[in-house]
Amino acid sequence: MVEAFAVASGKGGTGKTTSTLALGMALAVEYDVTVVDADTGMANLLFHTGLDDATVTLHDLLVEGTATDVTEATYERFGLSVVPCGTSLAGFEAADPARLRDVVADLATDTDVLLLDSPAALGSKSAVLPVVLADRVVIVVEPTIPALSDGLKVQEYARSYGTETAGVLLNRVREATESVATQAGRHFGGPVLASVPDSDVVRAARRAGMPLLAHAPDSEPADRYREAAARLEVRDGDGEAVAARFKSAVVPDTP
Amino acid sequence: MTAPTDEATLSIPRGELLRSRVVADVGETLERVLDREITGYATLVPQETLLSAGDARGVLTFETGVPVLAYDTATDRGGPAALASIAVPGPYRVELYAVARSKLETAHATTALRVPPDAPATELAGDPALAARTRDAAPADRESDGRGGDERGGDGDAVTAFLSDDDRIAAIREQAREEARARAAEWGLDEALAESTEAEPGDPDETTEPDRF
Repeated sequence: MVEAFAVASGKGGTGKTTSTLALGMALAVEYDVTVVDADTGMANLLFHTGLDDATVTLHDLLVEGTATDVTEATYERFGLSVVPCGTSLAGFEAADPARLRDVVADLATDTDVLLLDSPAALGSKSAVLPVVLADRVVIVVEPTIPALSDGLKVQEYARSYGTETAGVLLNRVREATESVATQAGRHFGGPVLASVPDSDVVRAARRAGMPLLAHAPDSEPADRYREAAARLEVRDGDGEAVAARFKSAVVPDTP
Repeated sequence: MTAPTDEATLSIPRGELLRSRVVADVGETLERVLDREITGYATLVPQETLLSAGDARGVLTFETGVPVLAYDTATDRGGPAALASIAVPGPYRVELYAVARSKLETAHATTALRVPPDAPATELAGDPALAARTRDAAPADRESDGRGGDERGGDGDAVTAFLSDDDRIAAIREQAREEARARAAEWGLDEALAESTEAEPGDPDETTEPDRF
């Protein structure tokens, strides 16, 4: 059983990595969860999971001709399988983001839920790939006009590739906005999963190099993330079939 | 705060033109005004006609660098709703004028046109750091501005007004769909596109170069 979610925002600084890990940890109570830092140009996941000194990362898997196995870049942390991305420019330059498809296919054979922490903007082929590959997308937005506009844009990009919206997470909410949540729900193809308040607890977790749900499991933001995960209905899928689909995905059907 | 507003209440003297230019990010203007503690106003004309109301023309006033009023002269909407009208992904033609504080007193007394001090930075520029700086610079008596008197907070009104504008949302989505398909062609990802229910005039028939995928 596997479903791959791209966690995307269309804009930087919305708390996407925090959200990916929080959803991952909340889902891990019920599922085997693998979290992949698919933002190959702006590695973030490793700083949130205490993996700053990881020796093998996704970058190594994306270099053509290397025999590195995906398991070597997979770390068990906080009840999750974490595939971090490296921070070196050389690693980024050597990496071929297009190989992400094969990595995702490999991971899909042995997990229940795959969360792809996706690049903030959709300005390049490599940036849009996680959204192309995923079954569905979780859109993380702050409840502001620019962020919601960007979130709508992500939704339409994803939908163009047949990737529907699993839900919207309103993040860094400064003041309760029930009307905003209701209205946002009308325009996105999935439910508003939760409104996560802006909180110093979230920043403290990041500084500590820990996921929010490990650093402050009893905080209000942590509760909201658990609520969001509960609303995210993970669909059954045949891991092998999904892997096969990834393997064949995006291959031009040339005669 | 969408009630039609008496034009006379937004009587602002022309003032001294400080700057006139097209900016990609209106946050630059807001930051300049804040840093220099400018009292006066700016006119903001979105250059993106597709996603705006057509000829939206925003007026933002400032006191000592902090935004006070927002008004859209195209729709006669004021306050947070005016921010929703003029919030587009840039660029804007911005003209910035200095006006003596005493000459803005009457206009600034129109509470229905007021916006939370940080709302322009949040809703027009999408800049949380600038919004925080603006909040810090705002006088304490501005805290309740633009809040609409119910439990909805701050510029939630602007966001609600934006999300209530179905035509605007539809335009954003349509533009994103077109952009996504154009980009897919550019990146050689056409084959990954989902079936479209609409004909795609202008799509090239030939297959793009074979991709490594």
